[in-house]
Amino acid sequence: MFCFAMRNLIAFFRRFRIFLFFALCQGIAISTYFTYLSYPRSQYLTTASNVTGQLWKYQNDVTKHFQLAFNNRKLQYENIQLRRKLPASFIPVYGNVVKIDDTIQHQQYEYIPAVVINSTVNKRNNYFTLDKGKIGGIKKGMGVFSNNGIVGIIHNVSDHYAVVKSVLTEDINIDVMVEKNGVYGLLKWNGKNAKIGSISSISNDLPLKKWSKIITRGGSGIFPRGIPVGKIKSIGTVEGKPLWDVEIYYSEDYRKLQNVYIIKNLLLEEQKKIESQVPVDEEEE
Amino acid sequence: MIEIVKHSIRFILFLLVQAFVFNQLEIGLGIQLMVYPLFIFLLPIEINIFLLMILAFSLGYGIDIMSNTYGLHASSALLIAYGRPYLFKLFEPRDGYLPGAELSIYTMGYAWFSTVFGIILAVHTLWFFFIEQFKFSEFWFILLKTLLGVPLSLGICILIQLLFLKKPSNR
Repeated sequence: MFCFAMRNLIAFFRRFRIFLFFALCQGIAISTYFTYLSYPRSQYLTTASNVTGQLWKYQNDVTKHFQLAFNNRKLQYENIQLRRKLPASFIPVYGNVVKIDDTIQHQQYEYIPAVVINSTVNKRNNYFTLDKGKIGGIKKGMGVFSNNGIVGIIHNVSDHYAVVKSVLTEDINIDVMVEKNGVYGLLKWNGKNAKIGSISSISNDLPLKKWSKIITRGGSGIFPRGIPVGKIKSIGTVEGKPLWDVEIYYSEDYRKLQNVYIIKNLLLEEQKKIESQVPVDEEEE
Repeated sequence: MIEIVKHSIRFILFLLVQAFVFNQLEIGLGIQLMVYPLFIFLLPIEINIFLLMILAFSLGYGIDIMSNTYGLHASSALLIAYGRPYLFKLFEPRDGYLPGAELSIYTMGYAWFSTVFGIILAVHTLWFFFIEQFKFSEFWFILLKTLLGVPLSLGICILIQLLFLKKPSNR
């Protein structure tokens, strides 16, 4: 009896071996996709690995010149903005003012410049590759922005390269707010248009205005407060929920993105430490 | 032997071209051009199905590694490799395929090629977008992207054959 069942089993495997092999490989592919989407285990199967990173660098060496004029103009504008703040561009009104070395203000954020060497905008979840990695001082979870607006959060790092989870992904969830009145929500992307994002979880009794500016809120310590995100495009209602459905125009054009800055928060450890001392509310669970 | 070398070179070329050129083109409306299914389509008819699936899987995975899609291309390439023998059987001409012939536009003609390869491309693209979104609420958007993208990809694949494939001399 047992022998018969065994033979049946073997016959079954022989008959369906093609389909079983197909199903096995399909399982591997799809499970890799969903695990890497939320939590990358290693850098070897992404563009952060050294071989593919190098290949993308070669590609970027060729294609970076296409946008050169545009990007130079962008950097020039930023230089003008910064130059306006230099002491040399101010006329001293009172001759006898002395500058004292400041001990009241500590530096909280440092910025590391980097170049985007690979980017897409037409997938459901878009990742950008940068030409700096661990050796350049970049760690997982740091914020990335350009001079026009936010870009994303570092998702994966190797020695020389890093992969950014951009704001053009489904669950980016950066906390943003309206500049004028401080109403805040979470940034999302619906996967259709690289120019348009949305903000969820804004209660519909709060006043909102079209074209008001959206900036980062800076609550989680990844981004400082005040990095531009975009402008409100339309305000709708969500069916069955007391929430606004807010769509925004991004202030950065991600199709032309080249020069970005990575934010290093020098006080992040301190913030994490003090926040971890908050007792967990047990009644909620 | 020469066949193996030929297909290995094609493998590398299709990998690089798909990753560096066609995945980089932003046409708008979420259209993605798929060229590498042509590699899977042009492999010999007599090829072992397991070898076919392994080749398709590794080509897809290579493209995934290059463009941060983590297994999406591998999954859809595997699907069309699995379905290829069934489709070829379904569309077999009355007197069968020529042994050892490549099923290109030269040997099979435009009509046959466009139909069969069009079906393969449509299945591939639909599967790709469905796994990517993983939501049935986006069905119409996915269908739109597929309907716009497939004819474009088909045209490019025909063009590639016209430009780079040699016409068989004995016909």
